[in-house]
Amino acid sequence: MADDRDPRFVPIKVQDGFVVMPDRWKVDFWASMGELSRFFIEIKENARLMGMKCPRCGSVYFWPRSWCHDCYVDTKWVEMSGKGKVTVFGQVEVSLNDIQKEVPFIQGGVHLEGARYATPIGIKKVAFENLYTGMPVRAEFLPPGERTGRIRDFYFVPDE
Amino acid sequence: MNDRVAVVGVGNTPFKARHIDKTFPRLAYESVKAALGDAGAAKDDIDSVVYSIYNDFFEHCAMPDLHVHYQLGMARKPGVRITCGGATGGYAVRAAITEVASGLHDVVMVVGVEKVADVANVFDMVKSITFAADPFFEAQLGASPAGSYGGAILWHMEHYGTTVEDMARVVVKNKGNAMNNPDAQSPMEVTVQDVLKSPMIVHPLKILDHCLSSEGAATIILANEKAAERFSKDPVWITGLGAANESARQAERDDPGESLFPAVRASALAAYKMAGVTDPPSAIHVGEVYDSFSGVEIILYEEFGLCGWGEGVHFLRDGRADMGGSNPVNPSGGLIGGEHAIGATGVYQVAEVVRQIRGEAGARQVPNVTRGIAQSMGGARGAYSVTFVVEG
Repeated sequence: MADDRDPRFVPIKVQDGFVVMPDRWKVDFWASMGELSRFFIEIKENARLMGMKCPRCGSVYFWPRSWCHDCYVDTKWVEMSGKGKVTVFGQVEVSLNDIQKEVPFIQGGVHLEGARYATPIGIKKVAFENLYTGMPVRAEFLPPGERTGRIRDFYFVPDE
Repeated sequence: MNDRVAVVGVGNTPFKARHIDKTFPRLAYESVKAALGDAGAAKDDIDSVVYSIYNDFFEHCAMPDLHVHYQLGMARKPGVRITCGGATGGYAVRAAITEVASGLHDVVMVVGVEKVADVANVFDMVKSITFAADPFFEAQLGASPAGSYGGAILWHMEHYGTTVEDMARVVVKNKGNAMNNPDAQSPMEVTVQDVLKSPMIVHPLKILDHCLSSEGAATIILANEKAAERFSKDPVWITGLGAANESARQAERDDPGESLFPAVRASALAAYKMAGVTDPPSAIHVGEVYDSFSGVEIILYEEFGLCGWGEGVHFLRDGRADMGGSNPVNPSGGLIGGEHAIGATGVYQVAEVVRQIRGEAGARQVPNVTRGIAQSMGGARGAYSVTFVVEG
């Protein structure tokens, strides 16, 4: 938009003889994290990564999930070591979103020790050309005063 | 399927980056009128409609189908919308097939339409797509669609020797094929070097490796065997249908063996089984498949069994996917050269295979086509996929 006024009160424009009408959808949320709440509290308050483990098959879910989709039983919280290995990686050169604008940045899959699945997450403090599949990495957290309780409070760095 | 399901009419608008002169109901109407004309049908022949419209933000309307349905003259008839990311079109056609095959309705229309450039800029457009990410964890990462596919492509490069030049060759092929398609958005004579020199977006995908972002509409009309006799053209049959979903999270996959897109593989095998296809390289004469990114098409050759695991790059290099090759892939130009008006895409793919079987594909006609596949997929790393086998 040309300015910061509410577009719904901005005059129409005519392009190639046809009208384009400014509009904007803006919706704010206070989204309940429900049974996942502890995960975010542990990040913010204790710099700990928590997964959830199935008491029947032993699968450890990270991101946490409060039930096992194979066994259909409730899972229990377990602390992850924060160590893992890179499974895949890529470097974003042009950011097309307003959450993460600082290009270039690296995102990759990290398979945490004991977890059933890899996790997509930011990887920092390593040059793209030095990354490799299988590289050992560990979680690093922002300082307490900078943490907001979101998954961007942590990222992975080489553990070599 | 209880009843055989025929495609009796196909129609679409031209696809463009911007249809500034038309609203989305108008685009839908034009494709419907074209499909009705193709079938020799009137709107009153339609018993039910399935709408294929992906993203509320593109239409700046939370339930756009409601507004289209009445304006198509379908009052007091059933209408339902399907939305499933890039697989929206495939799943919409599937829903219409179930209405016909079950005996619920005789004649069902699938209308796919999308405006995208009404979103004020590409950043907000991509943001609206990423609103589909897992809202508890991954939406905060700021990942884009290219990132999720890029990982699979990098794996393929590392394990099978696929190169960025190979990926560029897919772009050269599909934009070149689009030059034979008067409805295509991006007919273009490009070279491998042109692709390699285009700006890097997400490693290893450059801007020209990306699918298009299109506005337009496509409609197909389905009928059961008895009802199909009422329409003017020989019916083309949907003999195989497979659909499968994976986790919508980017990395949440149990070991799928050699398949990089297990939902695609599962949907292909299910469709082949229903259609009795046992040897895809000889049975599948043409494919319109989901080349969301250049490297993805190379992987799809393998997922569809057109070649063995790891052989996709040789399938490409040997020219087998080219026009004139053994199994031409995306004669329309696909998503890279033809169009990607997301809700319309999966519908348009079926329409294109129908045209190939009828011998109506003009300059992009593949000789002697009696059977082809159409496939669309969506979500992180191809999390949802629908495959059709279409036969004359």
